[in-house]
Amino acid sequence: MSGKVDLKVVMLGQISCGKTSVVERFIYNRFNNNYQNTIGAAFGARYLDVQGKRICLGLWDTAGSERYEAMSRIYYRDAKAAVICYDITNSKSLDRAKFWVSELQRSEESCKLYLCGTKLDVVQDDPHRRQVDYHDVNDYAEQICGKFFETSSKTGHNIEELFACIVEEYAEDNAEIIATLDKSTIILKEENKSKRCC
Amino acid sequence: MEDVLNEICSSEDLKTFELRYNEEMCQGEVSSTTQFEYACFLVRSRYPADIQRGVVLLEELYKRPDETGKRDYVFYLAIGNARLKEYQLALNYVKGLLRIEPANRQVLELEKLIKKRMEKDAMKGAAIAGGAILGLGALVGLGVALAKKH
Repeated sequence: MSGKVDLKVVMLGQISCGKTSVVERFIYNRFNNNYQNTIGAAFGARYLDVQGKRICLGLWDTAGSERYEAMSRIYYRDAKAAVICYDITNSKSLDRAKFWVSELQRSEESCKLYLCGTKLDVVQDDPHRRQVDYHDVNDYAEQICGKFFETSSKTGHNIEELFACIVEEYAEDNAEIIATLDKSTIILKEENKSKRCC
Repeated sequence: MEDVLNEICSSEDLKTFELRYNEEMCQGEVSSTTQFEYACFLVRSRYPADIQRGVVLLEELYKRPDETGKRDYVFYLAIGNARLKEYQLALNYVKGLLRIEPANRQVLELEKLIKKRMEKDAMKGAAIAGGAILGLGALVGLGVALAKKH
């Protein structure tokens, strides 16, 4: 993929909470059961359509390991949005998510916050495994003026919705930047048709 | 777009981690975390001397006993060596990682990037050599033409 990134998004969250799986589902539409620690950070990008324009969303998938904590700052710097992940089946991962929220509130004020509960499929199969209450996080998200999604990278549930929400909110807040982007291909085809009509 | 071999860190970032490293050094012992952080920024510096230093620090970390971060060290050793154009060494590190995690996407991606760089450099080398041969050919041609004239 070539070209420049219009919208920088960073993934943060506790080790093995499923950040890379969210990215894999969103960018490549695939899911892999084998777990492998991310080293440093990985980058991926995908084009999305918003308000008739084509926008390139660049995703920095950071390593959750404590080893990289100090380094992740260079990845969330100037990010327009942060997807802060936690594992619905692990209450400790929510504490870690809250740590990242306060870190971003302190150093990246303009970065929008999106809380992303992962592994929803696991609690759908076995409700006993839920350790984080939906309503608790919903309240917390309101409190920090963020959005909240419970997702499953395995089934794809809410993954597209999460990123669509990020792009739409970005477009609403940055109309002047959106105006400079290329039109999406779908709209271009429609325009061609209308030209032929005239 | 983003490419782990092209990624360059800012000198301010490098300085921050250098300072932390030096502070610990003055106190007598550098923790693995601090040394690793500093090394990661060094291998992403624009200056080969920094990259070289980063490689040395990573090699030293790798030799420490009981290290859980060995795969991380090796990954950055591959990046550092590739950036120093030590492609064969870089690929050996990649091979080592793939032996343990054959399907690791980050490592496979890195391998691809290193091979691409290798090819590019080889092409550049060939172009220069080709240019030299062409130049030599022209000289010989000129010489022959001049000789015929006389």
